[in-house]
Amino acid sequence: MNIVISGIGITKFGELWDMSPRTLARQAGEAALHDAGLVSKDIDAIIVANMLSGMLGSQEHLGALFGEELGFLGKPAMKVEGACASGGLAVHTAINSLLGGQYKRIMVLGIEKMTDQKPERVASALIGAGTNEERLAGITFPGVYAVLARAHMEKFGTTQEQMAAVAVKNHFHASLNPLAQFHTLLSVEKVMRSACVADPLKLLDCSPISDGAAAVILSINKEPRMKDSVSVVASQVATDTLGVARRKNLTGLNATEIAAKKAYEDAGVSVADIRVAEVHDCFTIAEIFAMEDLGFFKKGKAAEAIMQGQTTLGVGKGVVVNTSGGLKGCGHPVGATGVKQIVEIAVQLRGSAGKRQVSGARIGLTHNVGGSGATCVVHILKRT
Amino acid sequence: MINLIGYGTYIPEYRIRLADIAHVWKKDADEIMSGLKVTEKSVPGVDEDAVTVAFEAAHSCMETSGVAPRDIDALFVGSESHPYAVNPTSTIVGEFLGMGHNYLAADMEFACKAGTAGIQVVAGLIGSGQIRYGMAIGADTAQSKPHDILEYTSACAGTAVLLGKTKGIAELLSFTSFTSDTPDFWRRDGIRYPSHAGRFTGEPAYFAHVMGASQRLLVQTKTKPKDFDYCVFHMPNGRFPREVAKRLGFTDEQLAPSLTVTSVGNPYSASSMLGFSAVLDSAKPESKIFMVSYGSGAGSDAFVWKTTRALLGVQKKRKKNKWCIGQQDDMKKYVGYVEYLKQTHKI
Amino acid sequence: MYSPVKLWRNQKHTQILLGKKGVIVSWTIIRVPPEGFSNQAPYPVVVVRLENKEMITAQMVDWEESQCRIGQYVRVILRRISEPSSEGVIPYGLKVKPL
Repeated sequence: MNIVISGIGITKFGELWDMSPRTLARQAGEAALHDAGLVSKDIDAIIVANMLSGMLGSQEHLGALFGEELGFLGKPAMKVEGACASGGLAVHTAINSLLGGQYKRIMVLGIEKMTDQKPERVASALIGAGTNEERLAGITFPGVYAVLARAHMEKFGTTQEQMAAVAVKNHFHASLNPLAQFHTLLSVEKVMRSACVADPLKLLDCSPISDGAAAVILSINKEPRMKDSVSVVASQVATDTLGVARRKNLTGLNATEIAAKKAYEDAGVSVADIRVAEVHDCFTIAEIFAMEDLGFFKKGKAAEAIMQGQTTLGVGKGVVVNTSGGLKGCGHPVGATGVKQIVEIAVQLRGSAGKRQVSGARIGLTHNVGGSGATCVVHILKRT
Repeated sequence: MINLIGYGTYIPEYRIRLADIAHVWKKDADEIMSGLKVTEKSVPGVDEDAVTVAFEAAHSCMETSGVAPRDIDALFVGSESHPYAVNPTSTIVGEFLGMGHNYLAADMEFACKAGTAGIQVVAGLIGSGQIRYGMAIGADTAQSKPHDILEYTSACAGTAVLLGKTKGIAELLSFTSFTSDTPDFWRRDGIRYPSHAGRFTGEPAYFAHVMGASQRLLVQTKTKPKDFDYCVFHMPNGRFPREVAKRLGFTDEQLAPSLTVTSVGNPYSASSMLGFSAVLDSAKPESKIFMVSYGSGAGSDAFVWKTTRALLGVQKKRKKNKWCIGQQDDMKKYVGYVEYLKQTHKI
Repeated sequence: MYSPVKLWRNQKHTQILLGKKGVIVSWTIIRVPPEGFSNQAPYPVVVVRLENKEMITAQMVDWEESQCRIGQYVRVILRRISEPSSEGVIPYGLKVKPL
């Protein structure tokens, strides 16, 4: 496949008290149109990615809402949801709609407003991504990943310090990203000292609660005015059991492995060709899992490699991971994350990442996960 | 003949020492403990209530009874702390036991004798040929007001007994009851803590009814206290059962094995049934047991049981699974007053 | 508020598992609880392989730190899932207790 990314737009991520969902959408959507040199009448459809608008805002029917808000009145509009993988799934849906031939240009808008409710309410809403049994057990999302972390520590000897190193790296990258939620630098000691949320995960092992929106315009044809374009050359989705209890093993996300394998095959690339990647670090352990499941490192080896700086900008020789700051450093407005990842890789492949540029990056990967690994979406992007 | 087929008990593992309660209110711990003849009491977990406690006792009973849950034709749960004012505890317990749908269920209330009232109802249904097997449970997560004297004894436990026509571990040789309207202890609807009439709860209440039922049963069975191997009386504290046993002519040796109150406190509807279970845990076959409950309001249910050889098998099974009342001491965990307040939902 | 209908539908499955023994496969201790669970926190949540090979996720009660370990044997028991609302139905369900 060769789906052109003709426009990208993104808001700042963080606690944006005075930005309503409509304001966030307009900011990201208009930026994407401007970037593409297009106007709203040029767009054939809008697909919205969001998880929590119902539970936290009593608002459903987002396709129609944002269609109207962004000047797409009358046009096809819909929402795609897959918990934290909503963004990636929306991109995947747009791509398949374009390949189907009914539409030529689709805007994908990933958007989440999480700070209008107390953290306890948000945490309860987020576990909607798990099973009823998990909710009755009183588990939280940090708890679910803590269970996975414990299994990984038991099998491979992964340490809490190694997990902390993921947060340190991603905060360093985030400090180079003006739109990231956090610009403070971390140290392993600081992460280790932060309050325990669900053993062994501490506060600074966890991505924050954030507001934000990101938009991409995907086209079936290259836009005439674009000389240098970035395309999506693979878009794969895989699923696994909704809850962790029934997984075949707790030391990796099988959905990531399956989606990644199919994506590499589709794109005709190998993992070694990937120079820059945005992976789903909802918790520090999740990035360690991702690096192994995506094939960057052998099982049990990713934690030490990350700690040694092998995936850090300016340090590592191979793939640089989460230059946006990842979910931990840039923020994790759930529905927006998957789309933000596409935006970040597009920026990298265009060569316009400024201080956080990975030099010479031509092939990039995004990895977006829903829940505790029940859904995984992998995209591969190429500069053409 | 109505037979005891099986019994099950459940005591939560948490305990609080009376001394720790006395310390909070700056009372003399020794004076209180020697006055009540109780050293510690059981405390429920924050997520336990009469339903869960009744279930665990019943489940334990089923494991040693050899009867399938679907064969039980009646279930009565007696409690002062039914979690719902309207919605039966017994159906929730019955459903989780897997009893199916072919049974009679109802909740009982008569202060601390709600469980034993259920035993007499089940006995009547069996005796009339209406049912084959019936279960009666006494279970409570007893509440008491902080600083009130009841705070030292109100405890948590559940006991289930399964009765049937077929031969079991004991025979129910005879039973009777003694009732009046006596306002010694009560709790109004919607009000959290019970109230009591102080010293009025002694002679005109506990003693009058326990003595009344006991004397009626001794006459009915043409027996004397010395004809029994064991006696069990409702235990609101350690003093009352000792006193009433003495008055009736029972010895310390006959009473001793039943005194669960010393280290469990008073689990209200489960009290006399728990004492009865403690006796069953160690009684020899062919032993005669005299058992009398007491419920405020007021009334007493009295029973004469005679154990059989089959009891030995159940004792063995309970011991193996660490269900015997004596074995619970190995598993207890002490909590302080603050945890006690948390776990009993006062804070 | 818990849906009484949903709880009622779950009863059969709960009933089958009560009393079963199992072993802890992984665990965590929840220190920042979700809504409705604050009076129970902190508490362990464990993934258990039951004797009938079924895998469940459940809260562990009556616990000590030393029992939060892979390989610990547990038994399935009945408890209140969480504090009910003042007028709502009471949610009873599965938890596990160390053996």
